[in-house]
Amino acid sequence: MTVNLHTSAVSAAGLSRSYGATRALDRVDLALEPGITGLLGPNGAGKTTLLSVLATVSEPDAGDVTLLGLDPRDPAQRVEIRRRLGYLPQELGFHRHFTVAAFLDYVAILKEITGRRERAAEVARVLAATGLESYARRRIRTLSGGMRQRTGIAQALLGQPGLLVLDEPTAGLDPEQRLRFRELLSSLPGDPVIVLSTHQADDIAAICAHVVVLLQGQVRFAGAPAELAATAAGKVWTADGRYGRAHLSWRGSDGRWRHIGDHPPEGVELDRPTVEDGYLLLSHAAGSR
Amino acid sequence: MTSQLPIAPGAGAGPHPPGNLLADYAAGTADGAAAWSVEAHLAACANCRSELSAHVDAGRLARNRAVLLARAAIPDGGRAGRLLRRCGAPDHLLRLLAATPSLRLSWLLSVAGVLAGVAGEAALARYGFLGPRVATAAGGRDWPALLPFLLVTPLLVVAGVAAAFQPRLDPAWRLAAAAPFSAFTLLLVRALCAVGTALILAAGAALAVPGPGWLPAALLVPSLALCAFALAAATVVGPVSAAAGSGVLWIGPVLILSLRHPALTAVQWPAQAAWAVVLAAAIAVLFLRRDRFELGWLR
Repeated sequence: MTVNLHTSAVSAAGLSRSYGATRALDRVDLALEPGITGLLGPNGAGKTTLLSVLATVSEPDAGDVTLLGLDPRDPAQRVEIRRRLGYLPQELGFHRHFTVAAFLDYVAILKEITGRRERAAEVARVLAATGLESYARRRIRTLSGGMRQRTGIAQALLGQPGLLVLDEPTAGLDPEQRLRFRELLSSLPGDPVIVLSTHQADDIAAICAHVVVLLQGQVRFAGAPAELAATAAGKVWTADGRYGRAHLSWRGSDGRWRHIGDHPPEGVELDRPTVEDGYLLLSHAAGSR
Repeated sequence: MTSQLPIAPGAGAGPHPPGNLLADYAAGTADGAAAWSVEAHLAACANCRSELSAHVDAGRLARNRAVLLARAAIPDGGRAGRLLRRCGAPDHLLRLLAATPSLRLSWLLSVAGVLAGVAGEAALARYGFLGPRVATAAGGRDWPALLPFLLVTPLLVVAGVAAAFQPRLDPAWRLAAAAPFSAFTLLLVRALCAVGTALILAAGAALAVPGPGWLPAALLVPSLALCAFALAAATVVGPVSAAAGSGVLWIGPVLILSLRHPALTAVQWPAQAAWAVVLAAAIAVLFLRRDRFELGWLR
């Protein structure tokens, strides 16, 4: 993929980053527009490393990156990017003695919202957006994992960022909270650039206009979720028994076997492929290289 | 904006304000005289108060209520916070202090415990509980039992500063790394508070040990010099190496001096002058290289 660094809201070209002998990112090219982009990949694929570069936390070893038209290598522009950035790290540490409201207030200050009234208004806004109003006085150490994750999402929304980088935002959320999260992202004002990583293909299918599949530090697919699903067209089928030559087979609740493979047998009932099917097929292809 | 007062007569409360005037009043756009006349009327007219509620923007009210509830939910820092705010300390800097690792109770208790240990050891040695009684020599100017206390105390202050900018001790450091707030300001605020708190504890311990009365004051400049050195060195090497270097800068001279001179030589004139020079030089380096402090964009 050839990336024009100056036309996309977020773009990367030849991005590489290693940790010792491990190459976490390997010449990644990326072009993101306003809207929601899902980053799909297994553990260790480089998703967190890529997002930490996009969040200006990590510096790449090589390659160019442009965020909201700004160059993060320049210290002044890096600060400007951070003014417009909302970031949810995968491992968000909390000051556990803080209450939810105090934590959000603290992060609002880090985002240079220093006026007391302005901060309170922002804290109230994100509390309402994430449905945490009644938890504002609760100490973070007393919250469940899902509530902490919502607190993390709330802090990322402070300051109405133009670039939202969310590392596994739906981890720990129950189904209702996930639906609410999808609704929240879809209704954010200002058409921000949103990049989120997830293991949940149904999250991608539900809310993302664009999906990037990262495998072994490389971009293996970039396009619409429907296009990813289409890569598995004619390669997903259901049968009464297990088929040994399929790449993946599992038995559904109806007792029938669902298969993914490059060569379905003659006369089988082909299924309409999903985003997950496309992703699994890509993963298998990458793993068998 | 409405400036006329076409208020219809009303029983006991003067004339009723027309609906458009009530709407202007509810939106906050009625001018001073009109607003005053409406308020005077509302105080005595339940019907108009009821009618006014229909003109109020429910969304705005809900937002105001949410903001008030959020403000109430944000702790104000207790008595100490209120006192510091009255003294002019910016509110947002006080909030940053609440997340300073070296201000946590566990940290302060650890510092107090170590100080109590070395001060107690000095007292026990001084009064003969740890072997032969250690007498003051040189006309009361030498206090050999104070050597461990002298070695440890300024380093505890440095440890507080090192903790102030050690990412591993800040659970939310990734958020700070991706935030626009000046890392140098954040570090300085935390470091100054850590130094101030540790110095108070150190001064208290210095008063408690058997030693000269000027000992608490004598620890001030060396402690500040070591902290400033650690911060300045952190612009060149990592924070751990910088703190370790600061430790060597203190332990080395104190031990070497103690071989041939009284233990307190390291905090007496002319050593004080040398520490003052280190302090000034470190502050100069620190400000010249302040842009080197950044929590994010890590290699």
